[in-house]
Amino acid sequence: MNNIATQRIKREFKEVIKSEELAKCSIKVDLIGDSYTELKGEIAGPPDTPYEGGTFFLEIKVPETYPFNPPKVRFMTKIWHPNISSVTGAICLDILKDQWAAAMTLRTVLLSLQALMAAAEPDDPQDAVVAKQYKEYPEIFAKTASHWTNVYAGGPNKNSEFDTKIQRLIDMGIERDQARGALSTYNWDLERATEQLFS
Amino acid sequence: MDNNHETTATKPEGLEQDELIIQQHREIEKEISDSILLIGQKEELTSLETEYINDPVYLTKIQDLNKKYKCMRRARPDGNCFFRSFAFAYFEYLMDHNEEYKHFKERALKSKDELISCGFTQFTLEDFHDTFMEVVNLIGEGQHEKLYDTFNMQGYSDYVVVYLRLITSGQLQKDAEFYKHFIEGDRTVVEFCHQEVEPMFKESDHIHIIALSTALNVGVRVRYMDRGESSEAIAHDFPEGSPVCVHLLYRPGHYDILYSR
Repeated sequence: MNNIATQRIKREFKEVIKSEELAKCSIKVDLIGDSYTELKGEIAGPPDTPYEGGTFFLEIKVPETYPFNPPKVRFMTKIWHPNISSVTGAICLDILKDQWAAAMTLRTVLLSLQALMAAAEPDDPQDAVVAKQYKEYPEIFAKTASHWTNVYAGGPNKNSEFDTKIQRLIDMGIERDQARGALSTYNWDLERATEQLFS
Repeated sequence: MDNNHETTATKPEGLEQDELIIQQHREIEKEISDSILLIGQKEELTSLETEYINDPVYLTKIQDLNKKYKCMRRARPDGNCFFRSFAFAYFEYLMDHNEEYKHFKERALKSKDELISCGFTQFTLEDFHDTFMEVVNLIGEGQHEKLYDTFNMQGYSDYVVVYLRLITSGQLQKDAEFYKHFIEGDRTVVEFCHQEVEPMFKESDHIHIIALSTALNVGVRVRYMDRGESSEAIAHDFPEGSPVCVHLLYRPGHYDILYSR
């Protein structure tokens, strides 16, 4: 890795570490091994959203050309959100693409992601299924996102109705995550989810 | 389920398209960066003729330029060419103009606090500022070769570009009331700066040139070589009426450096 990128990341570390968000446990960055090319980010789900109470981990890859090109960031924790792929964790956010500027930092990225979690942009989706649900059935969306937060990110809201439906599919031989994905996709309509899984 | 979900509709098609386009851009960029220096050596203007061999409009304009300018330097066409050409040409000029150099250095030193008060993150700004000043200090050493080599080191060169982009953005925001009338599309000056000024590789327009030349109080003359009817490459001075110390050649989408006779 070139010197500029490494030096820059080292300086950024100090910045994130002393920042006040860290004191409030809302964002964090950790090294993976000794290299500064791969990092692990952590975001607390913002209050008053379905993600509240959850902890979301991010994979951060720093390119050779950093800070002139953006870091590559993806959610490692599964999340139900219009701008994040529920399958791969890929993120649709302008500053991670063509609106990255070298004056931005990992802290900027994490705070922007936290802001994105609080205010989705369904008209510029990464996950079209989630975006559709967000627009057409906002209540189901909120419950689903909250359920995913509970299951994958340690959030507080257990949903026994959803768990029962998932169990029904598991009883039919479907794997748990797959069952949850299908039900989430079909707005928790057990019949349609079953149909799709066995078609 | 993963597969089904993915194929049914996880990603709208446009997005994959986006990624392919980005990838293709990267490949083109790499090809360019492998073959063209960030700032090239001086060359004759007639070297442009080979690019326009069957084009009488351009050939006439090249001949006209050749009368007015003794040579040119090419800049890498990577979207940063205006900023990079401007910086190199102006720093070269300052090497031979000591009084102006002193003024510029003071101005550059002060710019840091101005930009921080404009809302840029302090430590990234300091980072760019420090590197920028390192290059500015080279001017004082008076070694043209060294300046040239530094501008061809990607790291230094890009830091200079970034810093000039920030100065430009700062100027646009400071004078937003004036500049807002020149922004296309439904966006604020701040949005424009985030989208078109601060990101690397974003091409420059008149508004960038006006803002930067005003911020640093440096006269820039741009010679426009396009398909217009005139037999000469028409000159525009920024800011209007100020003494010119940087000469640039514009061809649609690209800037290079000119040296007047």
